[in-house]
Formats: sequence, structure tokens, C-alpha cells
Amino acid sequence: MSAVIAGWSQDNRERARLILASYPEKRSAVMPLLYIASLEHEYVTEDAMREVAELTEISAVQVRSVASFYTMFKSNAVGDYLVSVCASISCHLLGADEVLAAVEKASGASAGETTEDGSISVERVECIGACGGAPAVQVNYELIEGVTPEKAKGLVKWLTDARPAVVLTDEMQQLFGGQRSFDWGSSEPEGATRPLPAFGPYGSAEVGR
Amino acid sequence: MADKNTVSITINGVTHDVTPGQRLITAAEKVGEYIPRFCHHDKLEPVGKCRVCLVEVEGPRGTALMTSCTLPVSDGMVVHTTSEVVKKAQAGVLEFLLLNHPLDCPVCDKGGECPLQDQALAFGSGESRFIEEKRTYIKPMPVSDLVLLDRERCVLCDRCVRVADDIAGDPLIEFIDRGSHVQINTFPNEPFSSYFSGNTVQACPVGALTSVDYRFKARPWDLESVGSVSLVDSVHSTVDVHTSRGKILRVYGADNAAVNDGWLSDKDRFIFSAFQSSDRVTTPLIRDGEDFRSASWSEAIDLVASRLGSYVGNEVGAIGGANGTNEEAFALSKFMRVVMGSPHVDAQVGDGIDPHLAACVNPRATINDLDAAGTILVWGPDLKETLPVLYLRVRRAVLNGAALVVVSPFVTGLDSIATHVVRYRAGSGPEILRKLAHRDDAYQAVTQSLSNGPVVALVGRGSITENPDLAVAVAAFARALPDATLMPLLTRANIFGALDMGLAPTLLPGRASVGDKTSVSALEDAWGPLPDDSGKDAMAMLEALVDSDLRAVMLVGTDPIRDCPDPELAERALDAAEFILALDAYVTDSTSKADVILPVAVWGEVDGTATNLEGRVQRLHRSVQPLGRSMALSAALDSIALTMGSDLGASDWQLINKEISETAPAYAGMTADFLTFEVAEEGAIVPLPGASQPLGYIPVDMHVPVVTDRFTLHFAPSLYDAGILMSHSPVLRGLVATASVRLHPKDAAALTVTDGTSVSIGGHKLPVTLDGDVPERSVVLPHNHEATKAIAATQAVRVETQRGDA
Amino acid sequence: MTEMILTQRMTAHPSDSHTLSRYLDTGGYTALTKALDNMSEEEIVEEVKASNMRGRGGAGFPTGVKWGFLAPAQPRYLVVNCDESEPGTFNDRQLTERDPHQLLEGIIISSYALGVSHAFVYIRGEYPKAARRLQRAVDEAYEAGYLGEHIRGSEFSLDVTLHLGGGAYICGEETALLNSLEGKRGEPRLKPPFPAVEGLYAKPTIVNNVESISNIPWITANGGAAYASIGPERSAGTKMLSMSGHIRKPGNYEIVMGMTWRELIYEIGGGITDGKALKAWIPGGASSPWFVPDEHLDTLLTIDDVASNGSMVGAGAVIVMDETTNVVAAAHRLVRFFAHESCGQCTPCREGTSWMEAVLKRILDGNGRPEDIDLLLDISDNISPGLKWPPAMTTICPLGPSAVSPITSITRWFMPELEAIIAGSEVAVG
Ligand SMILES: Cc1cc2nc3c(=O)[nH]c(=O)nc-3n(C[C@H](O)[C@H](O)[C@H](O)COP(=O)(O)O)c2cc1C
Ligand code: SF4
Ligand code: FES
Repeated sequence: MSAVIAGWSQDNRERARLILASYPEKRSAVMPLLYIASLEHEYVTEDAMREVAELTEISAVQVRSVASFYTMFKSNAVGDYLVSVCASISCHLLGADEVLAAVEKASGASAGETTEDGSISVERVECIGACGGAPAVQVNYELIEGVTPEKAKGLVKWLTDARPAVVLTDEMQQLFGGQRSFDWGSSEPEGATRPLPAFGPYGSAEVGR
Repeated sequence: MADKNTVSITINGVTHDVTPGQRLITAAEKVGEYIPRFCHHDKLEPVGKCRVCLVEVEGPRGTALMTSCTLPVSDGMVVHTTSEVVKKAQAGVLEFLLLNHPLDCPVCDKGGECPLQDQALAFGSGESRFIEEKRTYIKPMPVSDLVLLDRERCVLCDRCVRVADDIAGDPLIEFIDRGSHVQINTFPNEPFSSYFSGNTVQACPVGALTSVDYRFKARPWDLESVGSVSLVDSVHSTVDVHTSRGKILRVYGADNAAVNDGWLSDKDRFIFSAFQSSDRVTTPLIRDGEDFRSASWSEAIDLVASRLGSYVGNEVGAIGGANGTNEEAFALSKFMRVVMGSPHVDAQVGDGIDPHLAACVNPRATINDLDAAGTILVWGPDLKETLPVLYLRVRRAVLNGAALVVVSPFVTGLDSIATHVVRYRAGSGPEILRKLAHRDDAYQAVTQSLSNGPVVALVGRGSITENPDLAVAVAAFARALPDATLMPLLTRANIFGALDMGLAPTLLPGRASVGDKTSVSALEDAWGPLPDDSGKDAMAMLEALVDSDLRAVMLVGTDPIRDCPDPELAERALDAAEFILALDAYVTDSTSKADVILPVAVWGEVDGTATNLEGRVQRLHRSVQPLGRSMALSAALDSIALTMGSDLGASDWQLINKEISETAPAYAGMTADFLTFEVAEEGAIVPLPGASQPLGYIPVDMHVPVVTDRFTLHFAPSLYDAGILMSHSPVLRGLVATASVRLHPKDAAALTVTDGTSVSIGGHKLPVTLDGDVPERSVVLPHNHEATKAIAATQAVRVETQRGDA
Repeated sequence: MTEMILTQRMTAHPSDSHTLSRYLDTGGYTALTKALDNMSEEEIVEEVKASNMRGRGGAGFPTGVKWGFLAPAQPRYLVVNCDESEPGTFNDRQLTERDPHQLLEGIIISSYALGVSHAFVYIRGEYPKAARRLQRAVDEAYEAGYLGEHIRGSEFSLDVTLHLGGGAYICGEETALLNSLEGKRGEPRLKPPFPAVEGLYAKPTIVNNVESISNIPWITANGGAAYASIGPERSAGTKMLSMSGHIRKPGNYEIVMGMTWRELIYEIGGGITDGKALKAWIPGGASSPWFVPDEHLDTLLTIDDVASNGSMVGAGAVIVMDETTNVVAAAHRLVRFFAHESCGQCTPCREGTSWMEAVLKRILDGNGRPEDIDLLLDISDNISPGLKWPPAMTTICPLGPSAVSPITSITRWFMPELEAIIAGSEVAVG
């Protein structure tokens, strides 16, 4: 397949091939490939966009146009842990602002920023579908429901100290969560190693301890 | 309903019969109801994004607001465009658009011709209630060498993106970000370098996209507009020329559905700067030792008249004449044949095709025939590089479903959308043609495609290195295809007009063949008896000059040393000539060898008519005075003739035009008045003879040069070459790419050269670029480039590696 | 809550309701077998029509009727909308995480009924766990022959592709979703043409919500009539409601419509947190106009009753606000959401939503002006002329008008509070 991604890992090249094959039209693969490319480049760099453009046979600026439309394709470097605090209506009603403030204070990075050591990026996000367990927070898109300012502080400390290689939603829920939107059922073996949605076909999911 | 090809719609209580299929906004405008718009553009697919064209439409569930730019008219439709609801909605949208709009109208190029300004006045509410902070961007930022973008002024109408993507096929500008942060932008370090970028400036409804050359030049209210046609190439796009205080400031595409459909190439749009160049020759120049001295017209004319008068007619030849109007070409043709009594005239310089193929091919295709084509065959120069607006029309036809077969020794701009691309090693064209003609199995798919008519065949000489007979053979082959029509491809400004006016050794005005007594009777009545045998073509004239069979030559807006396939021959010929009269606007490699240079007026400075590659005749209107003491070519020839004691009848272009329509068979009735008043914006196609004339048939299996130890050469044309106008245009000059030799990686390996290292061709050293698209054993060079101009356009070349340097 | 269609399995088997083995030993894939073995495509469509099920994604359009509009051209596609991003909704997430095979069986049966051989599930990027669970289910299904070539030995073949979004609420709008799935910006398309005629890759396409499709196995197994017999005629079947905010027992509830809002909030939801008083609630997600106790507690919870009272059940998100709520701050949160999520292609939404957000922010910062109230209402009117319900639009899609609901809600029900905040007087909210 295309020489432009010769630099990609064998696995990711294979994933890209499968993804391209799973759509009737190449261009449909733009978003999945942007995720894989951000595994390779840490975030959606200009090279990443050029590579995706080559693979999907559209122009680089067309890829940029798509990437910049969505909030999860990051055009700047992000810390190892992306802490997303929901501030939409239900979380707002139950104290999201205090949770965000706590995260900012504990990490020393305010929303939109990354800590000096590059370990934690903080962002304020819109509804992440956890309103029943408000206020809710995600770390690398892995969810924690029923977070309080206190627990939020603990979460940040834990991330800084323990530096988990894989963040697992159940583990974090147990340590720092509370009220949940619903019974989650049995626990989830896979989690995220990078600030990307952890999904097998996109190469971003890892089985944790 | 009224009748089956109209539907009746009611607008504000008045019922109108309108043609179905059109959008409400257009139908309403035609019946005098103007609905405001920003994103709507007649030539672009509707997007309904700006929302300012909202109107109320009555429906089963009451009236609803709908965008009239997206709504097709339907019978019985009842519409309100001025109701309170509509007024409020439109005023609301205008207020929204103005929220973040800067208040820099006084310094905005669009000020005075700005739809936002005008429509805010007509449909807006006046004062803004927005006291929050406005969006700000760095302004303006260049998106290409020619275009600037001011994102604060942008109304996000999507016109530029649609022009770039849908019309030009260059998706290099796009919407970036989301919501209130949406902006137009390019990819970092990938500028909007499209041959058609200027169209976005013209399409932009506000002052967001501006062209570098026009910025701050004028205010719209002191612009005058004159309709004309572009003579940058043989397509003859219809244009509006905008002038102020006797100076051309801007050229806009005009809506001629039969030709350019409103679009222009950037060369059409920006080349006029070359005519304003300070290097223009503006007074007659007479040789003075190594140099020239300027002289008065009378002195120069006397000198020229006496020198020319001292030769027997056929000791004099004329090369060129393809840059001006039909009238100028006719005057030259008549001057040579009647005043000088010489048959030696040629508007081509050994770089063209058989004049009969160009002028008399039949059945001949129109540009609009492309839209109805089943299959389009392009076997000639790269259209994107040589006839960009024709490229747009072919592209549109292909996107609408026509099959496209491109045959070429090198990648062309059309390959990416072609159904079939046949690539061949430069020089082996005849072999390919033979295979196609004999339905060789290797080309089954192509043959299949070509059997699906109607076939429109665009046939020309792919490169100056291509055997000129090939085009004739291809044409002969293409004519046999189902419902085939042919479009001969020559690119020079008014070359088709020049040939029609008899500026070819084998042709007389009106597409009459030399010696064809019957068709030239009218001409002979006017001109007196004409010789039966044809004259020398340009290459023969150059050789004759070297052998002194020809003693004097007239160079009319041509530079043989640059343009003919054998620069070295041209050089020797001009050195050998006893007398050279140049009628030109610039000093060139060739005209610098002249004894006299007479400064002739150029495009924009003359009135007349011109004929494009369809045989379409259109009016050219003068928009400014000739620069300095320049004079129209025909007027100059007229006074030379007078001084020589004969009346050319060319003192005024209308006289000539009248004579053409009376004496040139095919041009009967093509008068200026007819063109101006009868067929205003589309022009008229010169009628073809009823019986289709036979093409000089060349057997398709022509001798193919067997080249083994050598490379074959393809001189690739490019839009931004070092042609005379390009090199005098301050706006476009910078766009000429650096030259290199394109080689197939295998050959490069064999020669042990790599990217960047240089080789020498015919003793000229050039850097190498590896390119898998180059057929093996051939090299591709940019044509008409400073670095390659001295290289003879022979089919086989020797490529020597430069030892020691890399 | 006697009837349970969607949440039975996950309630009975919390630990492993998402696995194939559990799915199979609780009657899973028997509906598919029934469909393939003894039902024609048309028969299934007829059953879905008979069920009167109305789409659960928000628009409430009868699913069977929509299926009837599918144009004949091939190929055609089924696209399942799991972009659930409307503030207040989280029930598609539960259905996907906790019973992915139920959704998948629905997809397979629907695809068979619609003559589809390639189905897509568009899952919002912030739901990686739902995506993983569904992907595992898909893998298991291929493994077991419920997906792929000649499913269960029949003539019918189907591939299912999961597609993660990139963070954009607007991609929940079906045509924006299709653009996104085509690798384009998630900008809604002009309608017509509707997806059923020109959808994905301009081919006939059915877009359905996760909950809608999750009902298909039950309807196939038990028949449309049985489904229609549950609940009020025009709000047939069960509906997943997501309750959040100041409610004692937040969460998802599979209910039968027809009860009053009082019953829902005080019985099912357990009342207001800390026994506080109810101030207002949002009945159908961020886009819906608010309800208030004095007016609506005894309004019936049916699609039509809620609509006739000027709001909507929508995707079934109930957001409860107690007496201490600063409704202007709440309205600002909602408007900020829509401003942030506007795709930006049409002027009134792009400019209007962020303008309203800025004005509300300014008011909350203590810089409000009396005229701001009329200004807010007039901006709203320029996005949604007449401020009617259902809303008129100057926009391409309903997102713009959605941002108007919070404004009209506070001006309609809480004008004194709004005026007080603008006046800067220390009127305690509530
Ligand atoms: C702004 C906007 C957001 C939407 N978001 C969703 C969504 O997240 N999930 C969903 O199923 N439908 C959503 N819809 C409705 C879809 O457009 C579509 O009507 C629905 O998916 C059809 O499925 P159904 O017929 O099964 O309800 C949204 C509509 C709009 C206008
Ligand atoms: S209303 Fe808003 S979200 Fe919808 S199309 Fe217009 S700008 Fe985009
Ligand atoms: S002109 Fe119709 S929406 Fe822009």
C-alpha cells in the first residue's frame, strides 16, 4: 500500500488497509485514519493530514477541513492524559464548574492548557452522555461518573503519581467515581494508552491489568 | 398550466409563465423580482447556506420560509417575496452577516460594487445592535501569488470553494474549523495555485478575495467596462475589460455559454499587464549600427517603402500575423499578395499543423458539442497547459458523463479524469495510431470507448517535437469514428483567424485553397489575378533566406528564433537576410536583428474581429488608445502601401471588415454590424461548406524513426512559459517554473544520474528530475523556457551525463 | 413498569448481558432465525408498520412508514445513529454497552427486511466503551455466522461496519451523519432529497436510532400488534427515558408512555434531591422548551400531549431543575452548547447562537441591559420566526432553532428573575 505511510508501524499499516477496504468509498476512511495517524504522530500534524490525504485520494486541505471540524482531532500536542470535564447542563446543575476548578487547581493547567511536564491536558467539554452520573469526567475518553471536586483532585494526583500505562474506566470509576448513569455490569478489560478513543480497529485500545 | 414548456408561478399576487427546471431566485429575477443573495451563483450548484434569499411559499400546511436559490419552480407555486415575514427574515440574515464584518469599506476594493453593501442598504435594517467583540483575523493574507484573502470580510458563501473544487478541479481552499470559527483557508505551505484562481476573486460577493494586481487601484464608480474577447489563446474567452483614465485595470470573464461560460484562466485575466510594460516599443526604430534609433513614422515608412520596393515580389516573405485581428491579418495577406505580389506568407512558424486541417476540417466541432459527446478524444497538446478554458469545458463534459480518451507522450492535466490514457514514447505516435486504426487487441478498451458516439475529437500537435503529419493522420482516423466532429488544436492567439485570412502558403482569404479558381472569383475581382502555385512556409522561407533565394522578410509579431523548431536555422536566416522589417510591440531575439521596427498596437488597443478554434467569429473592442506612437498593423501596412503607390484600403478596420465579408467566400455576411447587433454575446460560427472536403489523407503507418542509442524528446508546453507576453507581465512573470529534464528512473539509473544532478542535452546543461510518468528512453523538457530555448526540437536527442559535477 | 422490552436482559443478568452466550440462552437471535426461515422482507416491514413504533431519535417519525419510502435502487444502506449527544440523553449508550447483540440482531433483521447488505453504526467518539462492546458483539456474530456470507445458510449476506465520530453533536442529524460517514464535514444536507431516496453515497439509505433498531427483534418475535397494544396508540411501545439533574434517582428508565409527568418525576424519579421544590424541567433534551410545575405536572407523557403543550419528548431526556437553580445560568449553558455545536454553514445559526451566548454571558457577568431581553427574543425570532412550536426556521436544520428554546423558556416562565439579574438586584433565585 501507499508508500507515504511506510513510516507507520506494520500493525497500523495493516489496520489502515482493513479500514480502507471496509468502506465503499476511500474518503469514508478519513476519520478512522486520522485516529490512526494521531497514534503515529501523537496528534493530527500536517504530515498526518498529508498522509491521510494520500490514502483517501483527496487534497490535504480537504483533510484539514474535515479534521478541524471535529473536536477530537487535536491540532496541537496533548498531554499523556487528556482530562475532559463536562460542563453541559446536567453536570452544570450538579457542580461541574467546581469539578473543573478542582482539576485546574490540582494540575496547574487551566482548561485548554497542558501541564509543564506535558503529563496532563485539561479541557472543558460539552455533554459526554453521562448526565445520570453527573458531574462526569473523562480521562483519554474513558469515563468516570459522579465525580466531586475532592475526588477530582485525587484523580489528578493519581494520574501524576501512578502514571497508569492504560487508563481503565472501571478502575477510575472505583477510585474516583460515585453515582453512575446506570449499572455498568461486569468490568471492561480494555482501556486507553493515549488521548484517543480506545477502539481495537483503530489500534488505540489496550488490555489493562 | 400555460403550456408544457412553461409553468406558471405567482409572485406577490402576479402570475407569470416561466420555464421549468430553473430555481425560483432566477425565475423571479427574470420577471423583475430581485431576491437578495450571497451564496447563489448562476454557474454553481446551489447550497442554500447564506439564507438571505428566504421567501414565503404557500403550501398545504400554510406558508413556509424557503430559500429561493434551492427551490425549483413548480406549476402553481405561490410565492411572497416582500411580506413582512420575508422582510424581517432577510433583514435578520443581513444583520447576522454584518455582526462581525469590519467597517473598512472606504479602503475595500469591493466598496461601491459590493452586494453586501448594496443589499444591506436595500433589504437591511440599518443600525447594528451588536455590542460584543468582533471576530478578528490577520488581514489580508496571501492564499497564492495572485490572490489575497481577508477573512474578516468573508461571508462564507462557499462560492470560492465551489469554483476551486467543482469548476477548476483544484480543491486547494476549504472551510476550516466549525461554528462561528469557520473560515476559508488553504493547507499550510500549499497555496491556492490554480490556473483559475482569479475566478474566485470575480465570484466573491464581498471584498474577501482580491487580486494582488488590482488592490487599491481604483474605485468601481470610475471604471468603464467594454466587452471584448481574450486573445491569450485560440479559445477567445469573452471578457469585460474595465478601464479607468485610459488604462486597463481589470479583466473579468463575461457570460458566454458557448465559449467560456463566464470563467477565465488566470492568464486571460492578468496578462494585460504585459501590454502596459515599459519595454513596449512605442516609436518606430531604425537600425543604427549595433543599435536602433527612434524615428518618426514618416521617415520609417519612407525607408521601408523604398527598401521593399527594391525587391521583386517573391524575394520577400512574411512570417507571423497571428496575434492581431482578422482585419489586420487580412491586410497583411493582401499587402503581401497584391502590393508585394508574393505568395510567401505563413502565420505559423513550423510549430503548427497543416493549414488545411486547421482551417478547412469538416465536420468541425463546436465547444458546446463537448456537452453532448459520448466520447471525447484528445490527441494533441496538454489542454490544461495550452487552452485552459477548453480544459474546463472538457472537464465539465466528462464529469457529466462523457467518456474521455487521452493519447499523449506525457502526463496531461486531463489524465486524472480520463476514462483511458494511452501513453507512448515520444516519436512513436504513428505506431500507436496504426494499432488503434487496426483495432489492435492491446487497445480493445480504448477502441470500445471510441465506438461510442457522438465522438468529439480534439486533434493537434502534442508538442513541437511531434511529427506535424501525425495530426493529419489522427484527424483522418478520427473522422471515421461514429458521428465524429473534429476540433483542430492550435493555440496561438488568433491563428485560426489568420489562416482564414489567407496567412498560409496554401490558403487564400475565406478558406479558399490557392489555385482553386472557382472559390476565389470574388477575391480576384477585387485583387486582380492571383498566382496558382502556393508559396513557401515559414521553415522554407528561413532556408531560402540562408540560400539567398529570399532576400527580405517581414516579421509580424513573431520571434522565429524562439518559436520555430530550429532556433539555429532561424538565427542564420535572419543574419543572412538583406532586409528585415519587424512589425512588433517588443524587441525580441528575432526583432533585434531587424533593420526597422514599427511599433504596432496590441490587444485592447484595436477594434476588429477574431476567429477562434471553433471557427467562431467575435467582435473585439478597443478599450484604450495605442501606447505611445504605436499604430494598428493594418494602418501601418496601409501607409507603407500608399508610399509604394498602391491603395491597400486598410486605413480603417471597418473598410477591411467590409472587404472580407464581400470577398472572402466563407466570411460572406460576417460584418461587424452583424456580429455586434445580431449575435452579440455568442459570436457566429463561420459556415462550413455543405459537402465535407476531403482531408489530405496521410497513411497512418508513417515511417517511425528507429531510435536506439538515443532518447526521444518531448517538449512539454506549460501555461506559464517564457513566452513574450509572460516575460513582460510583472504579475505573471514570477510564476514560471524552473526548468529540468524529466527522465524515467530506469534511464536515470542507467545514466547514473539522480534527482538534482545535471545532464546535458545538445550541449545545454540542465538539472534532472526523476519521473515515473516519462516513458522509458524519452526525455521531457519544458517548452519555450529560457533554459531550453536554444535546444533544437528534434525528435531524437543525445543525453550526456555531466561528470565531475552533481 | 411491567413491560420490559429493551432492558429485560441487562436487568436480569447485570454481569454478562452483553455476551453472545448470555444473549443466546435468553432467546437471542431466535427472532432472526424466525425472520430468515419463515418471513419475507415485506412481512417484516408490515410488522414494523403495524407496531406503530415512532422513531426514538427525536423526530418521532413512524419507523415502518419511513422504511416504506426506501427507494428501489441498489445498493442501499442502513445506518444506525449512535451519535447520542443531546445534553440529557444517555440511553443509547446503555443499550449499546449492555445489550449490543440486541441492537445487532435488530440491525441484521432490519437489513434483511430492507434489502441491505452493508450496514453502518455511527458511534460518537466519546463512547469508546460502547464501540468496543458492539465491536466485540460484531466479531462474535461473524464468528457464529450471524453476519457475513449466507447468514444461517440463507441467501442473505450482511457486513456491519462501526464508525467512530470525532466529537460533533451535529453529526447526530441524519444528513450531517451521512456526510461525516462519507469523510466530509458534518454539515447537514438540504432536504429534499431525503436519505431514503439519496442517502449514503447518494444511494437509498435508512437512518434509524439505536433504540428504534433495538426494538426490532422483539417486534419480529412477538408481532407488531403486540407492540402496538402497549401504551397509548400514538405513543406505542416502551420508551427509554434518561433522567438527570436535581432528581433523587437519576438514570435510564424504560417506561410505557401515558403516565403524568408528576408520576414520572415523583414516583419513578423519586422526587427532587434533598426534598427541594421543583422549579422547572426540560422534558425532551436540551432542544426542547421547558416545562414548569404549575402548568405541566399533570400533562400526560405522550409524544402528542407534550407536543400540544409546546415541547417534545424528543430523544427522551428529562433534566430536572430545583428551586435553587439560576435559570439564566442554565439557559446560558444550553445556548453555549448549541453555539459550540453549530456546524456554521448557515448564517442565522452560526452568527445568532454565538451572539445569544455572548449576550447571556454578559448578563451573567453583571453587564446586562434592559433592552437585552428584547434583543435576545428578536435574535431568536430571526432564527425561528414567530417563535412558534413546532419551530419555523430560517436555518437549514433544527439546531439553530433548538438554541431558541432556552431563551423563550426563561422569558416565558422566569421573566422576573431575568429582569432581576439584569437589574443586578440581589433577588435570591427560586
Ligand atoms: C441537531 C440534531 C441532532 C440529532 N441527534 C441525534 C442523535 O444523537 N441520535 C439520533 O438517533 N438521532 C438524532 N437526531 C435525529 C436524526 O436526525 C434522525 O431523525 C434519527 O436518527 C432517525 O432515527 P429514528 O427515526 O429511529 O428516530 C438529531 C437531529 C438533529 C436535528
Ligand atoms: S442550523 Fe446550524 S447546525 Fe444546522 S445547518 Fe445551519 S449552521 Fe449547521
Ligand atoms: S442565496 Fe440562497 S441561501 Fe444563499
